[in-house]
Amino acid sequence: MRKLIYLLFLIFVGMVSFNTIEPLFMIPKGWQKPTYDFTKNNLTQEKINIGRALFYDNILSKDSTTSCASCHLSYTAFAHTDHALSHGIHNKIGIRNAPALFNLAWSKKLMWDGAINHLDAQALAPIHNKDEMDETINHVVEKLNASVLYKKLFYVAYNDSMITGEKTLKCIAQFLLTIQSYHSKYDSVINHQSFFTNQEKNGYYLFQKNCASCHAEPLFTNNEFATNGLKMDTTLNDFGRIKITHNLNDSLVFKIPSLRNIEFTYPYMHDGRFKKLSEVLNHYTSSVQPYKNLPGQLKKSIVLSSNEKVDLIAFLLTLTDRHFLYNGAYQFPKNSLMPTKDKQ
Amino acid sequence: MRFFFVFFFSIFSTTLFAQQKNKLVIHHLFTNKALVFNENFVLKNEDTISIHTFKYYISSIQFLKNKKVVWKEKNSVHLIDEENSNSKTIDLAKIPTDIDFEEIRFNIGIDSATNYAGVQGGDLDPTKGMYWTWQNGYINFKIEGKSTFCKTRNNAFQFHIGGYENGLATLQKIALKINQKLPLEINLDIEKLIEQLNFSTQNEIMQPCKEAVEIANKLPLLFSIQ
Repeated sequence: MRKLIYLLFLIFVGMVSFNTIEPLFMIPKGWQKPTYDFTKNNLTQEKINIGRALFYDNILSKDSTTSCASCHLSYTAFAHTDHALSHGIHNKIGIRNAPALFNLAWSKKLMWDGAINHLDAQALAPIHNKDEMDETINHVVEKLNASVLYKKLFYVAYNDSMITGEKTLKCIAQFLLTIQSYHSKYDSVINHQSFFTNQEKNGYYLFQKNCASCHAEPLFTNNEFATNGLKMDTTLNDFGRIKITHNLNDSLVFKIPSLRNIEFTYPYMHDGRFKKLSEVLNHYTSSVQPYKNLPGQLKKSIVLSSNEKVDLIAFLLTLTDRHFLYNGAYQFPKNSLMPTKDKQ
Repeated sequence: MRFFFVFFFSIFSTTLFAQQKNKLVIHHLFTNKALVFNENFVLKNEDTISIHTFKYYISSIQFLKNKKVVWKEKNSVHLIDEENSNSKTIDLAKIPTDIDFEEIRFNIGIDSATNYAGVQGGDLDPTKGMYWTWQNGYINFKIEGKSTFCKTRNNAFQFHIGGYENGLATLQKIALKINQKLPLEINLDIEKLIEQLNFSTQNEIMQPCKEAVEIANKLPLLFSIQ
């Protein structure tokens, strides 16, 4: 009998400890299969750790002043909150608002204009951009190969301390893949663990009627590109995706962003022109420009009363995911980066 | 004992011999001379040209007999760089010695599937200077130098030819008839490209575009069997 109790106790401990080990990546219930091919870049905790260290390390920039986290802050869903246009090295201002980062395993093309077709290649763009990090991947790899810290980390992760461009970029991608947001109030309502207020419920109805075809659940984006009829800002002359595709239908076309955590990702739009959600809704109800390539959904103007706008915003606030925003695993990696301030 | 020694030695020497033989050597020529970086070459139109960067990808090497593929290299990607003379010899050690063929086919550049597959290592590592960063994708063919006809700073010209989608694909398929055994010697005559360019009007391509496609279309003319 005693043995049996002992055995049951062991099984219980085993189950509890098994349950507390969080998987490196989760496909939330009801979500489609990710677009990212994990078989080409198998997630390991060691590689994620390297990616996280690199994400927070100024070593990626030419003068060691700028990291990915300079414009992508974990507490604000990795967006550059409060900055209409993001700034990089030497206080240079770019031409676009740094987008929020999460659920990237489902993304198809990255950047506001879809210039990057794969998450592994994404980090190259800011590293090489003159207004962001103004560095080259060759020099980054050289610096990493001269760093005792990274030599150790790569040795642990790959059993080989030789650092290459491929390994560096794939580690950054691994960390980005683990940045997931699926614990908002909306998610708990969908999973029958919580209820919307009447106002939120009405907002959800209005959202499904007016917004959901582009900002599709559960990602709150269909990861496609479209023009949303914004007036051209003639101080920027940013025509968006046409620069990449050379296709006239892609004039003023930009990525459809996810609405998750929208409470924290202000200012809004590719150029950060709107500070408040109410301004965004006002744009959709009354200032959409009649461009030829406007998607069908926006050709007929969206009608919302002022009460309805308030309800819709109440719903949008249920997309805030505090579990994600305050997740320690996404924050500055004190353990790996702090002890070696004097990187060699 | 002696018999075994001779036996193993003969096997060893045959494989060694085969390895030396099973290769493809590329010669970069300019005005019928071997290309030398930073040396002046005078063209028929009296332009004086020097070249300081010349690199490109060769991929998907295949050998054919009666239009049927008899051997194809696995993971076939080679960055050929004039600066690194070893890169101009492609080792085909894995090709069976008894194989018979009459045609070689390969691509200049990286196919669209690879361009969609994210970052890769080896010759495809983005540190090789053949990868665009603001818009990702491989540069298939890169030539930089000076021409007296270029009205640019330092008379410089730079052509970075790439692009794999949106109707701007630059990958080129090369097919050459061969009537010899390995080793195979291939000539790449840069003059055949340069003589078709007008340096007084065109001297820089740094992104996928129509002009890049036009230049890429000329590349098959550059190759011939020695």
